[in-house]
Amino acid sequence: MMKYIKKLIFSALFALGITSFSVTANAACGKIVMADMNWASANLMANVDKVILEAGYGCEIELIAGATMPTFTSMNEKGAPDVAAEQWANAVANPLKKAVAEGRLHIANKAPIKGLGEGWWVTPGTLKRHPELKTALDILDHPELFPYAEDPSKGAFVGCPAGWGCQLANANLYRAFEMEKKGWVLVDPGSAAGLDGSIAKAAESDKNWFGYYWNPTSIIGKYNMQPIDFGVPFAGSENWDGCIVKPEQECADPKPSAWTHSEVNTVVTDNFKKTAGNEAMKYLEKRTYPGEVMNAMLVYMADNQADGADTAIEFLKTQESVWTKWVPSSVAKKVKAAL
Amino acid sequence: MDFFDQFPVMEQQELRDFKKGIDLAFRTFARTYGDAIESFFEPLLFFLVWLEKLLINSPWPMIILVLAGLAWIASRSILLVIGTIISFLMIGYFGMWKDTMSTVAIITVATLVCLAAGIPMGIIMARSNRAQATLLPVLDMMQTIPSFVYLIPILMLLGIGKVPGLIAVCIYAIPPIIRLTNLGIREVDKEALEAIDSFGATTWQRLTKVQIPLALPTIFAGVNQTIMMALAMVVIASMIGVRGLGVPILRAISNQYLALGLMNGLAIVALAIIFDRISQHYGKRIQKHREGRNL
Repeated sequence: MMKYIKKLIFSALFALGITSFSVTANAACGKIVMADMNWASANLMANVDKVILEAGYGCEIELIAGATMPTFTSMNEKGAPDVAAEQWANAVANPLKKAVAEGRLHIANKAPIKGLGEGWWVTPGTLKRHPELKTALDILDHPELFPYAEDPSKGAFVGCPAGWGCQLANANLYRAFEMEKKGWVLVDPGSAAGLDGSIAKAAESDKNWFGYYWNPTSIIGKYNMQPIDFGVPFAGSENWDGCIVKPEQECADPKPSAWTHSEVNTVVTDNFKKTAGNEAMKYLEKRTYPGEVMNAMLVYMADNQADGADTAIEFLKTQESVWTKWVPSSVAKKVKAAL
Repeated sequence: MDFFDQFPVMEQQELRDFKKGIDLAFRTFARTYGDAIESFFEPLLFFLVWLEKLLINSPWPMIILVLAGLAWIASRSILLVIGTIISFLMIGYFGMWKDTMSTVAIITVATLVCLAAGIPMGIIMARSNRAQATLLPVLDMMQTIPSFVYLIPILMLLGIGKVPGLIAVCIYAIPPIIRLTNLGIREVDKEALEAIDSFGATTWQRLTKVQIPLALPTIFAGVNQTIMMALAMVVIASMIGVRGLGVPILRAISNQYLALGLMNGLAIVALAIIFDRISQHYGKRIQKHREGRNL
C-alpha cells in the first residue's frame, strides 16, 4: 500500500513537473497552427516561421497543408489555422476586408516578399544585347528580335496556358497594346510545363524570350529573368476588373495597362495575436524576404529537390544577415543554437 | 535481420547527385546540340506550317470537296462520302473549322513521317532476327512510357511548338506501323518466296515484287492504327503549344466547360472515324484486288 502511495505521489510530482516545465517554456507563446501552402515559396516561409517561432519564441507549432481558398475560408469561418504566411489577397479581397474590420483576422505583414507579382519578362541576355529596350512599349516596336519559330517574320509573345485566368488578361492586353498590328503572335504554351520549358529552352541557349510569368518562382530565380516595365501606368481597376480579366466578348475596348498589383499578406487570426503575443506579431511584421533571396532559395529547393523544412534550415544557415534583422538579438541567438 | 526489413536503398545524397547528374548531362547536350537538331527539323516545320496555312486559307467548300473526293477514291462507298461531308459541315458550323484544319495538318504530317521512318524499320526488323530482338523492347517502351515523361526532354531540346509536338505524336504513333510491317512481311507464304527465288530474283525484287505487295493488307492495318494513335495524342501535343482541337479541350478541362470539351472531343472522334474508314476501305480494296487476281 505504502509503495502504491509513494508511486502515486512520485508520478503526480513527475507529472506536475512536466506541466510546469512546459508552462514556463511556452510562457511567451502558445499552441499555434500554421498553414503550409501547396506552393514552394509559401511552403518555405511556413517552415522558416516554424523554426524561428519554436526556437526563438517558445511557440508550439503545428503545420497543416493548405491552399489559397480552403485555408482562407477555414481561417475566416473557424479561426484555424492561425497563420497564413503568403495569402494572395486579390482572390479573397472582400471577405478579408470584412474579417479585418471585425477584428477576427489581422494582417501582420502587407508585403512578406518583395518584388512579387505577375507581369511580362525577358531573358537577361535580351537586355544585355539590347539595353535600349526599357519598357514593354520599346519591346513591342521590335518583334524582329523575338522571332516566332513558325513564322519568323513575326514576333512571339508567350502568353498563359489555355484555361488559366491569366490567359484572358494576356489576350486582352495583346489587343489593348495592338500587338497584332505591330507584328506579334500570341503563343499559347499549352501547359505550365510548356511555359516553363519555353523559358528554360530560351535561357539555356541564350536566346531572346518575351512573355508572361510570375514571381517568386524558381524559374525566375534560376534564369535570372528580368521584369519589364509596361511603360504605361495601371489604367484603373474598372479597366482591369471590368474588362482585362474578362473573356474577349465581354471586353470590347481594353485599354493598355500595367499588370494589376498582386496583394499578398501574412494573415493571422485573433487567436494568434492573443496567444503568441506582441513579440511574435512584431517578428511577422518585420519578416520581409528580399525578392532575390527568396528566388535563390526556390532555386536551391528545385535544384536539390529539397522540401520546405530542409530549405528553411538552409535559409537560416546561409542567409543570417537577412533573418537576424527580423528578430531581437536574444531570439537570434536562441535560433542559431537550435540549428 | 535489418537487411530483410529495410530495403537497401541508395544513399539520399548520392541519389540526389545521380539525378542531378542526369539532368545536367541532358541540359549540356541540349545546349550544345539544340540548335543543330532544330535546324535539322526546319524543313519539316516549313512543310507543316505550309500545309496548315493551305488548309486554313483554302475556301472551305474546296476542302470538303477534296476530302469527299479522297473518301470516294479510297472507299468507293457513297455512304462514307456523305458521312464525311456532313461531319465537316457540322464541324464548321460549330466554329471548329480552323482548329480542325490545324489538327488535320499535324495528323497528316505525323502519319507521313511515321510511315517514312516506320516502314523501312519494319522491313529491317523482318529481315533480321537480331534487329527484331533489339527493336521490340524499344517499341514496347515507346508505347507504354507515359507521354509526359518524354515531353520534358523534348521541351528542353526543341522548346514549344509544332515540331516538338510532332515528335511527341510520332513516338507514340510509330510502333504499330513498324510492328505490322514486320509481321506482314514475316507472314508472307514460304511458297511464294520459293517461287520468286527459283526465278532468280534479286533481294530488291523479292522485297518489292512479292513481300511488300503480299504484306500490304497488314501494313495498311498498321497505317490505320498509326493514324488512330496520332489522333489520340492531339490533346497531349497541345500541352506543348501545338494549335488544334486539343487547345479548346485543355481550356475546357481547366474551366469545367462541359459543352466545349464535348464538342471538340467529338470533332476528334469524327476525324478518327473518317480517317479510319477511309484507310480501312482502301486496305480492303487492295486485298480484294489481289484476291481477284488470284482467282
